[in-house]
Order: sequence, then structure tokens, then C-alpha cells
Amino acid sequence: MSRRIAIVEDEPAIRANYADALKRLGYEVATYADRKSALAALSTRLPDLALIDIGLADDIDGGFALCRELRALSAGLPIIFLSARDSDFDIVAGLRLGADDYVTKDVSLPHLTARIAALFRRGDLLSAPPSVEDVIERGPLRVDVKRLTAYWTGQRVDLTLTEFWMVHTLAKYPGHVKDRNALMRDANIVVDDSTITSHIKRIRRKFLSVDPAFDCIATVYGMGYRWNAKEA
Amino acid sequence: MTKAPRRLALGIRAQLLLVLTVFLAIPWLGYEYVRELERFLRDAQERTLAGTAQAVATALHDRPRLFEVTPAPGQALSTERAPDAVPSSVPRVAPPPPAAPSRSPDIEQIIQGLSRTSARIWVVNRDLDVLARAGSLKGVRTAASADETLPRAWQWLDRELLHPLYSLVLAQPTDDFDEEQGGRILLPAREIDGALSGILTIERRRTPDGKAIIVSAAHPIWVGDQVRGAVIAEETTNAVLAERNRAFERLFSIVLAALLIGSLALTAFASRLSSRIRRLRDEAEAAIDEQGRVRSLVAPSGAGDEIGDLSRSFSSVITRLAQYANHQQNMASRLSHELRTPVAVVRSSLDNLRASSLPDDARVYIDRAQHGLNRLTHILTRMTEATRLEQSLGQEYVGERERFDLAVVVAGCVDGYRVAYPARSIELALTGGEVPVEGAPELVAQMLDKLVANAIEFASGDAPIRVTLTRDGERVNIAVDNEGPPLPAAMAGQLFDSMVSIRSDQGDEPHLGLGLYIVRLIAEFHGGSVAARDRDDGRGVVVVVTLPLSSAAA
Repeated sequence: MSRRIAIVEDEPAIRANYADALKRLGYEVATYADRKSALAALSTRLPDLALIDIGLADDIDGGFALCRELRALSAGLPIIFLSARDSDFDIVAGLRLGADDYVTKDVSLPHLTARIAALFRRGDLLSAPPSVEDVIERGPLRVDVKRLTAYWTGQRVDLTLTEFWMVHTLAKYPGHVKDRNALMRDANIVVDDSTITSHIKRIRRKFLSVDPAFDCIATVYGMGYRWNAKEA
Repeated sequence: MTKAPRRLALGIRAQLLLVLTVFLAIPWLGYEYVRELERFLRDAQERTLAGTAQAVATALHDRPRLFEVTPAPGQALSTERAPDAVPSSVPRVAPPPPAAPSRSPDIEQIIQGLSRTSARIWVVNRDLDVLARAGSLKGVRTAASADETLPRAWQWLDRELLHPLYSLVLAQPTDDFDEEQGGRILLPAREIDGALSGILTIERRRTPDGKAIIVSAAHPIWVGDQVRGAVIAEETTNAVLAERNRAFERLFSIVLAALLIGSLALTAFASRLSSRIRRLRDEAEAAIDEQGRVRSLVAPSGAGDEIGDLSRSFSSVITRLAQYANHQQNMASRLSHELRTPVAVVRSSLDNLRASSLPDDARVYIDRAQHGLNRLTHILTRMTEATRLEQSLGQEYVGERERFDLAVVVAGCVDGYRVAYPARSIELALTGGEVPVEGAPELVAQMLDKLVANAIEFASGDAPIRVTLTRDGERVNIAVDNEGPPLPAAMAGQLFDSMVSIRSDQGDEPHLGLGLYIVRLIAEFHGGSVAARDRDDGRGVVVVVTLPLSSAAA
């Protein structure tokens, strides 16, 4: 059975393009132009993944409201925000509402489909036993590449896809400085420097909430970031 | 804002007071009026005296018996010592005439009844013998009595200040005059001559010491058709003078009070006006800084007059200016936001196109389109950078200042730039030791990125870019200088504004003029400032960021 993806997007050309690309990859796609029709259809039959634009025509924050409503219907439904807005405020607001990822419309279709595939994989494999070769261990850090999950001293750190990929890139070669371009490439995003900075900040904060003594991600001014190895 | 050159700087207050001097004409008008009054009073006095003389003469007409007393020799009026030479301190009422010199008690009796206070009446016969005399010239009460209805303060002012002042200007009537000359009272010769020739004659003369003016009227005394003698009625002008002075003083005091109150009221009014205007000016000047940015809004005044109107229109102008500036500042962000959706349409279409089966030569064009699209995306990202920074400075970083070593950040960044720009050598000069600064190190790094990128872009020749860190008291200077063309003088104040670029050639990178604006935002966030100037040797430009050192310096 093919997976069903709901696209809620007010711009017809983008909606059609994304639908075409996803259909080509074998997904079943349902498209909606506004919040009302989307909610009406999706509440009777939940999709496997929802791709939601924040601004839906005149409904400026319609995507946020829809996300909240869908999240209320299902805690496990993968939701990706796709928006022209790229301010930290919107990103933080979107992720707080329970979205799994937030990408701007700059994202290329291959990047977007990679994210969708990754989210499906994470959902599929979360319950399966981990295979050793897909896990990177760096002291207290355990990164499960297949499931796209990270653990710190045994506790799961709830990272978005972007954040997970950044942690993965950094932790893969401890001590190596990863510049912003490398982080962007590996995280499948195109953003400016300050967005990388705020992503790193958010990652640090998430680790700090698990372990207040966390200090493994070091800023190398003018260069990038580095994972400082820490003995367990 | 520059102030207009000060030519003749007269404030509104000074100008109003200047206009007020027009009212100084009022005392002059009053003076003219009082003089008219004085003339009128004199005429009246002369007529009264003439009347008195005539009345006395009428009582003496056709009574030849009265003139039959033979005067003692040598008693002629012209040479005789005045019998009533009175000491200078005079009682208020006319002294009783001494008994001795009266030649004619009958006449004396008659004129006694006709005599008035302050007037003196002589009766002479044709030989100029004084037959009778009554009254005295000295008896007018000259001291102007204070008006008891006026307030005490005004009375005091009147007595202590104004009266001495008036005494300087106006001749004060006085009883302290001396009409004797050589111990004799001079005969008012012309009047007597006139009267003895049968004509009513009125003359005025000055006392020999010049202190008073005496008005005299002489009337002939007829017996039958013969002039047997003359009645002379005399009076000083003191009463008139006193009346004139009182009128003048009163008028002048009232005008003075009116002027004083008027000036005070006008001064207060003008002060209020000019203080309101000054406040408005200060607000207007404070509203816009040297770079023309709107710093604060002018609160519109609630006053209903023209200044209130001015304040309100100032306020609305400034508000509109602020809106415009805001609009301009956000234009990049909004433009980029608006462009995102069509770009996404193009991008997703290209991606779909790439996925479909295409001839190879079509892929070349897809690649070119993709390349152009990437550049467009890059531009859009750069355009939002400043806005995003402003937002995060306002929200994210406010509570997140940390103390860090600026030297470490600068050194690390410069290392990075050497890798990033291998074609250009970069020199670094540190002060040595820790340079503690309070703030966000990643922002400082972002600021350095912009400074160095800017320097490299303008650098010409092979000279290295120099990054210099110097401590200056409680502050630290980060200077980045490069060899290259000097700054255009016209843009000096705007270099650090949003969307200002002085580049003449357009290279591969988009130039939105946001780099130095970002530098300024970050410098100001750290409580510092940024300035650009030509290098001392004139062959390059140096941009200096000044930041305060952490007050909690170790």
C-alpha cells in the first residue's frame, strides 16, 4: 500500500509541482488549497504525512492552526511546515506546535523528498531493533542514523530532521571543524549564516535540557562548529 | 539638523517687548493733555483774580472818603519795607495782617471780607500808597496728599519711588519763595500803571528768586470818572501747578501700572509661546538623528491654537517619515518574502523538469536556469539577513549576553578568513591579553565577517587587509583597513544605513548595501559605534568599531 501525503498549499503551481514530484516517487497525494477543506477531508481519513504551508491565502496563520488540529487528531502523524517565511520566530512557533520539520520554500524537490523519506523511515524503524552498524557512539552520545534519533546518556534528545543531520555531521568526526556550508549540505537546507547559528543554539538547548553540563558543540569563530569528544 | 546662522537673534519675548515700546507714546500724550489742562486752569485763575479785583474795586467805587487819608511820607509801596515779610515756615492760613501799616482801616475792613485764602489784595491810591492789604501769597497747600483708597503697596511705591521721580521732571510748587528784593516787595508796576490809567490789567511775573510765578490782576477804582486808586489781586500759580502735578502723577502712575502689568502679561505670554515652540523644536530635532533616521515620535499637542496645529502636523510628518523609513527598511525583507513563492514555483518546476525524460541539450538550459535560480535565492537570503538580525537582536539575544574574550573571537575569525580568502593576505594585530566584552560572540563574528568582506571587496593592490585590536581606556577599537579608493564624501553619513551601497561596478555577488548596516546593528547592540574614514596616508579606508569593555572586567 502506497503512502498517502497531504499537501495543504494555497499556490496552485507549487501545489501541482510538489504533487507531481511526490507522485512520481510512488506516493499517493491529496492536495488542499485551504484549511477548511483540508481539515474536513483529513479528519475523516488521516494521511501518512502532512506538508503544510503556514500562510493559506487570507488565512495568515492558517497552517499553524491546521497543525494544531491535526496534532490533536494524531500524535504520531509526521508534519512538515513548508513556508516562504524564514524568520526564527516562525520556525520556533511551528516546531513548538509539534511539527517534525520546518523547511522554507527555497528547498529543492530532491531535498524535500529526502526529508519526507527520512521521516517515513524514522517512523517505520522506531520500533525495530537497532542494527549496530547504523549507530554512531561518541561517549554519552548515541546517534541512530537509520531511525534518525539521537540519545544522550541513554535519554532520547528530541531533534528535528535538520537538527539531527547537523548533530550527525558534527559527531561523525569529533574534533573536526564543520563549516556552515558543510552543515547546510548535510542537513539538506539552504539558509543563511544566522539560521545555522540559531539551529546550533536550539540543538545545544535540547541537549542542555537533558544534561545541564553538556558542552560538546564548540563554536570556532570564523570557521564553524566542532564536536568535542567527551569520555563517557 | 543645523541651526540657521545667528544674524540678529531676537527671541519672541524680546520682539514683543520691542513692540511694547510703542505704548511709551501714551505718557507723552498724557503730558500734552496735562499741559492743556494747565493752560486752562491758568486762564481760569486769571479770570478769577480779575473777578476778585473787580469785586473789590466795585465795593470801593465812588467812595472818595476812603481815599482821604494822607499817607505818611516815605510809605510808598515801591520803596517801603514789606510789613508782612513772613518767615519761610508758613502757617497754613494767611497770617493776620499786622495792624501798623494800614492807612485806611475802612478799606481794610472791606477787603478783609473779600480776601481769599492764597490770594493777596492790595489797594493803592494814585500815589502808590498802600491803603490796605489783605491775604497772603503763601497759604496754598502744595503737598499732594496720598489717595487713601489705593493699596498700601502702591502708596509706598508712590511715596518712595514715583514721587521723587516726578520731582525731578516736574516743577514742584513751593511756598518757600522770596518775593523781596533788597528787603522790599517790588511793586507790580505795569499792572498798577495799567489800572491807574483805567484798564483792567492782568500780568504774571516771576518772583525775584525764580521759585514761583505770581499772577496779578489790577482793577481801577473809580470815583466819578476819575481813577482814584487801584485794587491789585495777586496769587501764585502754585495751586494750578499742584493741580497739574497731581493730574500728571495720577495719569503717569496709571499708565506706568498698565504698562508694567501689560509687559508682565506679554512677557509671560511670550515666554509660554517661545517655550512651547522651543519644546516643539527640541522634539523635532530629537526625532531625527544625524543620519536622518527617525529615533522617536513627536507626541502631538492637544492645544487648539496654531502651535498645537504645528505640533500635530510635525507629529504626523514624523510619523509618516517613520512609516516611510520603516517601509524602506522592511522593503528588502518583504520583497524577498514576496519573491519566495514565485521562486519556489520556478524551482519546483525545474526539479520536475529534470526528473522527466529530456534530450541532453535541454539539460544545459535547465542547468543554466538552475544556476540563475540559485543566485536569485542567494540574493533573497542576503536580503532578509538584516531583518532577521534586527528581529533576533530584539528578541533572542536580549537576555543572552555573555562575557567573552574579544581577542579570541577576532583571532579565530581571522584564521577563518585566511582560509576563506586565500588570495588576500590578512594581518592581525592584537593588544595582548584578554579583552573582555559583554555580548554575543557569534554576532561579533558576523560583524567581523561583514567588515572583512567589505575590506576585501574594496582592496586594491597587493597590500594586506589589517585587522587591529586596540584598547582605549574603557573601550576597545576594532579597526579593519584596506588599501583602496577613498570614501565618497557625499555618502559619509549614510554608509552604515540599510540599502546604501557605494559600489560602482556590479560583480558576481549581490550588493544590497546591507553589510555595513549589519555591522552598525551589531555594534549598537553591544553599546558601541562604528565609523569609517580615509586612512591617514589617503591611500585606503579604515572602518573602526568601538565597543565598551565589560564593566565586570577581571
